[in-house]
Amino acid sequence: MSADRPKWAEWADWVREKDDPRSAGPKLEALGDLVVLDLSSQSYAGAYCSSMLSEFGAEVIRVEPPQGDFLRTCTPYGLVHQGEGLNYLVEGRNKYHVTLDLKQPEGREVLLGLAAQADVLLETFPLGTMDAWGLGYEDLKQINPGLIFASITAHGQFGPEADDPMPDYDNVAQAKSGIQYATGAMLPPEKDTAGCPWAVSTKASPWIAWCSAGTFMATGILAALHWRHRTGQGQALDVATTEAYMRLDNYTHIWFQGGGHVTERVGGLDNALWLYCFAPTSDGGVFLGGLRLEMWQAFCDMMGKWDEWGVGEWDSLSPFLNQEAQLKYFPEVAKFTSRHTSGELERMAVEYSRSGRLAPITTVIAPILSPQEAMLDPNWNERGIFTPTQDPVYGRVVAAQAQHKMTETPIRTKWSCRPVGYDNSFIYRKYLGYGPERLSRMLQDGVL
Amino acid sequence: MTSDTWKDYVKNKPKKPKPLSGLRVLEVCTIVFGPSGPSWLAEMGAEAIKVEIPPLGDLERDLSCSGFRFKEQSPLFLHDNVNKYYLGLDLHKPEGQEIFCQLAAKADIIENNLRPGVMERFNVDYRKIQKINPGIIYLEKNGFGQWGPYAEENRPSNDGASQAFSGIAWMSTFPGQTPIKQMIYLSDMYGALLAEVAVLSALHHRDRTGKGQYIEISQTESIMRTMSWVWPYLDITGKNPPPAGNRDVSVCPADTFCCSDDSMVSLAAAAPLEFAGLCAAMGRPELAHDQRFADHLTRLQEENATALLEIIAGWAAQHTAQEIEALAREHGFAASRVRDAAQVMADRHTRQRGFMTQMDDAMYGTYLDHEFPVMMSATPPQKKWAARAVGFDNEFLMKNLLNKSEEELKALYETGALGKWADRPGRRPPPDWDGSSDLILSRDQTPAQAERGEK
Repeated sequence: MSADRPKWAEWADWVREKDDPRSAGPKLEALGDLVVLDLSSQSYAGAYCSSMLSEFGAEVIRVEPPQGDFLRTCTPYGLVHQGEGLNYLVEGRNKYHVTLDLKQPEGREVLLGLAAQADVLLETFPLGTMDAWGLGYEDLKQINPGLIFASITAHGQFGPEADDPMPDYDNVAQAKSGIQYATGAMLPPEKDTAGCPWAVSTKASPWIAWCSAGTFMATGILAALHWRHRTGQGQALDVATTEAYMRLDNYTHIWFQGGGHVTERVGGLDNALWLYCFAPTSDGGVFLGGLRLEMWQAFCDMMGKWDEWGVGEWDSLSPFLNQEAQLKYFPEVAKFTSRHTSGELERMAVEYSRSGRLAPITTVIAPILSPQEAMLDPNWNERGIFTPTQDPVYGRVVAAQAQHKMTETPIRTKWSCRPVGYDNSFIYRKYLGYGPERLSRMLQDGVL
Repeated sequence: MTSDTWKDYVKNKPKKPKPLSGLRVLEVCTIVFGPSGPSWLAEMGAEAIKVEIPPLGDLERDLSCSGFRFKEQSPLFLHDNVNKYYLGLDLHKPEGQEIFCQLAAKADIIENNLRPGVMERFNVDYRKIQKINPGIIYLEKNGFGQWGPYAEENRPSNDGASQAFSGIAWMSTFPGQTPIKQMIYLSDMYGALLAEVAVLSALHHRDRTGKGQYIEISQTESIMRTMSWVWPYLDITGKNPPPAGNRDVSVCPADTFCCSDDSMVSLAAAAPLEFAGLCAAMGRPELAHDQRFADHLTRLQEENATALLEIIAGWAAQHTAQEIEALAREHGFAASRVRDAAQVMADRHTRQRGFMTQMDDAMYGTYLDHEFPVMMSATPPQKKWAARAVGFDNEFLMKNLLNKSEEELKALYETGALGKWADRPGRRPPPDWDGSSDLILSRDQTPAQAERGEK
């Protein structure tokens, strides 16, 4: 890298000096003036949303029932680290954790005290729960007109199915979105699903619907804060998890309106782009990308098909953009890529950019990496994505972080998680002036 | 009560203010990753000016769905570019760069998704704009950020490469199978969304201090952030987590099953009452007390989860998706068929919520599109108009924002700094455009003149 730096290296150095996550510590925090109450329950969307805010410096107070949030038990294969589930271990970041039983009148009284002093309240309870407790938006705006009251649920706060009792789960939202239906391997010709149980509609592995809901809500909260800055007015916000995820789908709804077309699975291919696909290799798979005709021609050249297919005569990418053409050419592509390792193909593309017939034009060839390969990639480590957090309670924790790089108010991970009720004494002292005697009485009464 | 907060929400939407009104966004954005973010800001009321190099503009205008276009326009472009003003400005030309700087002086937010160093070549990089406008919030999005080994190699990136590079595709597959790509441009769309969290946080900082800043975001780093448990799992066990198909390995039971009617259903029933409800719905209440399934952490263990999911698969195969959805409602767990586009479009709930909103556009007519998915009781986001041709609003923007005279405008067109659409699908207005509808300000012809048929 140092030997052969780009012309704009001076710019890269300037930016890095200002936004390298390693220098974030002493800088200002964008949301350092905000207090957020996160009451979210059994919802990664809620936890993820408040993480976004806490990474930017908001003081997030996680309010959990005395036994802790169910989300703490949602962990892959039941694996726990020092008693903590892995999802919560990374999503408790920077938050203060208190317990409070909102089913008891005293718990609700305490919450009113916190809500009066908060900027944002986030909740994910079934519709009507907060109202029934006297903690709904109409109640809280009486004591705090500037409050931003954010709800994330399966079906939203209004609409004909808002009172559908089904709980909010990521995999069910993915199923409802229409996206899972159109993602997955195609059934090989003359085979059936029984013989190929993997050739079905397939969801994305992460809690992506929940992440989408949480991230959209974070943008909504921030926009509402800007409005409050201008007017002093708070408001209620409503996100339905399925809608949030569905918003990331660019076209199936519009395509459907063009004559009722239902988008079906295309495996590693793409409905809108060519060359743009996943292809098998002798040791895994690669992504092949070339959105311009020349990039597809370059790949044909690498495959040795230049003369056979009359590639030099082609003058438009359009004939390759329908599925019929893709299904005709893809088997040839796959036959070629299967004879090589992913690494060989990656090097072939770089070599072609130097000495190929169409150089410097070449094809984007990227290996499909396992998470382990991705995590070991020096690029991301240099950019601070996997820097271990030294958590005061849990020790070394590796979580993806530093995804926002900013010159003035960078995000940071100060701690990773907290046990249930860990911050009761600090938070209740700070906001309500409660001392040890009161807290131990509340603990005895099961309020904390 | 809730009903008061949300009463007549959709009906009253047009009457209410927008949260980001008064903010001006300049974008130099392409394909999906770039323009989605400014669209979201524009849906929340910001004035977004889409700067495109004339006459071809954003390459996203070229994309079709297997050849299908909506009144000539790319469905993708239509979806990702709403409520914007369209400026055809050639940043290769010094005169174009000067116009950009004049607009930047009056802007609050600038966004682009070009490779590192390109804006500097155009003389409109952060360091220059910051001198003109210290409050500017300046976002650059791309594959690998502005520094680091891959950025310096000038590696191109796109959504598919990011799905491959991040590990997300490898995970989102069935064991032993070649990974498949997400049908949506997940890394692009999610990266664009995450970037706006930074932009709006920076806005909050600016509201308090008056200071702007520079933000860079990588689509791969963004999507890695969503993979929560995967990274500590690797660090703790030293092993790759195995791909698990449709099974959610952090929630049990949660998986997708084949039903008796050829459809598929996803269900989840993890909390104690939900799980007991599912067992009752299956007519197997004793399973709730089976020690293998006694509590969530126990159930999640590989052997127990496999056994439980097999039982559920056997049961689901005997029922239709509709029956399972009804049972879920009755017994308090979650289930939905894996809905296709037709079923999604038939959903009256999302329509009545105004999420699937009816567009009424001067160029593209009436169709349904997604509203911004955060409903805001005091300041509801709203899609107001659809895409426009390259450079469609040149005259209006130049007059209104910079008060350019006719001579100046003419000179800008002559140098090629300003330009309009190429006569190609997606770049030009739709074929049935009447030549005047929705022009905000035209020097050649006012709408009234056009109505009278005057030249």
